[in-house]
Amino acid sequence: MRSPSSLKQEFLKRWMRGLQRCTSSKKDMNVLERKKVIKLSADLAIASARNGTTSWSRALIANASRDNDNRILAERILGPESDILIKRVSTSVGTVSCNRKIRSKKILKRSCNSVRRVRKGTHLPQKVLAKSIAKRLVQKRTQILKRLVPGGEFMDELSLIEETLDYIAYLRAQVDVMRCIASATELINHD
Amino acid sequence: MEPNLGTIVRSISIGPNREETGLESLQFREEIHRLMTVPPENGSSFTELLQLPETQAMELLHSAHSDEVVPVPLSGEPLHGINDDHKSYLPSFNGNLTFPSNKVLIERAAKFSVFASGEHSPETSSVPSDSSANLEKVKSEPAETDSNPNSSQLLVSDPAVNIKNQRSEKRKEREKKGKGCTKKSKIEISQDAEKLPYVHVRARRGQATDSHSLAERARREKINARMKLLQELVPGCSKISGTALVLDEIINHVQSLQRQVELLSMRLATVNPRVDFNLDSLFAPESGSLADSNFHSMVSPLLWPEIPFNGNRQQHQQQWNFDALHRPLWGREEDNHTFITMENSLLNYESANSASLHSNQLKMEL
Repeated sequence: MRSPSSLKQEFLKRWMRGLQRCTSSKKDMNVLERKKVIKLSADLAIASARNGTTSWSRALIANASRDNDNRILAERILGPESDILIKRVSTSVGTVSCNRKIRSKKILKRSCNSVRRVRKGTHLPQKVLAKSIAKRLVQKRTQILKRLVPGGEFMDELSLIEETLDYIAYLRAQVDVMRCIASATELINHD
Repeated sequence: MEPNLGTIVRSISIGPNREETGLESLQFREEIHRLMTVPPENGSSFTELLQLPETQAMELLHSAHSDEVVPVPLSGEPLHGINDDHKSYLPSFNGNLTFPSNKVLIERAAKFSVFASGEHSPETSSVPSDSSANLEKVKSEPAETDSNPNSSQLLVSDPAVNIKNQRSEKRKEREKKGKGCTKKSKIEISQDAEKLPYVHVRARRGQATDSHSLAERARREKINARMKLLQELVPGCSKISGTALVLDEIINHVQSLQRQVELLSMRLATVNPRVDFNLDSLFAPESGSLADSNFHSMVSPLLWPEIPFNGNRQQHQQQWNFDALHRPLWGREEDNHTFITMENSLLNYESANSASLHSNQLKMEL
């Protein structure tokens, strides 16, 4: 995949820029606001680093720009390139709404099927039962994973796994960089 | 001719042990009826065909080795081709002269209709594609009903069965390729990594060769490959077998990472009075010495004595001044390069504080 160090550098750069742009207007913020701003700018930084190539980054930006309060912040943080990005994201938002309809249909189908399966399950031999149980476990876990990964609810299994791969790499980079900076600033402050 | 054909039809209906006779007996009957109806339609040409090939067939039957005994009929080349094709079947018919000649004739007539120009009806032209297989079966059935030695029977049945297998295999391959092509077209849209137009999936022993199951198997294999990648990425997952447990680990990992991000952002928020960190003040003293990109070792001792200065300054309000001073630093174009080097220095500074192992780690990471 992409090299982690370049990812970190890119992330840091964008993050700092975003934070700067964000704080240029407001001078005083309480802790929670600051935390929100930090997290938001970090998310947007990495999402913009991907430039909408991955689905989760698009979903992050879409989520951020959905609430009106966050939207202004997000636009400011993203800076001058925000227009292009948001346009790209909004084109995918249309598909998201279509996916929602598909999703509701899928939920209906799944509920019907599960009822049928429960009735027939009592007569099946053990091997088939075990397989069906395993399948159901896997399905439950993929549902949980879909909730965790942003924008993952509408994807099929294959793309979901790819998105998780990317997302895990991004989360790791984010955690590492934030930890470095946090410890650095703490060290400085304690001196 | 006709009574012989009639016996062929009866023998087909009699033959119960063959597996292929289920649907194909009907096909046989239809085709043979078609063939039978052909002679009255194109009477002259067909009888001509029959007459000439009769003599040829007899000669060929008697002398199986002779390649040169190919009399020149109406149009030389197609019959040459036909004769060469039938050589393999001829040795089996040495026992019978009456039936095989008729079958060979039927074959010849059917195939000849392909090669000849459009005099014949389109039905007969459609026949040869299937007739090659069917007529072999036609041959084989009377061979069964007749009192043939088993060797010739086997000889007859084998080519028929072999050819049938070949054709079914061809059909399967076509199906595979066709389904793989459609499947590929779907996947190309979703993934950029695979650029092949076809998926050549080989059906393993004992597995279904349905187009659906092939597509499913290809999909499953892809999913398993991705899962392996995930297993390598998430620490501690490589020993676990089973999709559900691996997914469990992945979910736990993602959740822990997300929680860490939350905690760290909270930590950063509490540490700093402002959101815009101290990187400015950190990097400020070194702005002059950052010409080189390879200064890791140099910078860390430089940073080390500067820290107490930075810390003192920070606690006053003079950081605002520093910001004002060093904001132009950020705005410049060189910043990208210097920024990254600054980051390197920062992270190396980190490592200087911690153990040397950590420092190596961070350097590696950067």
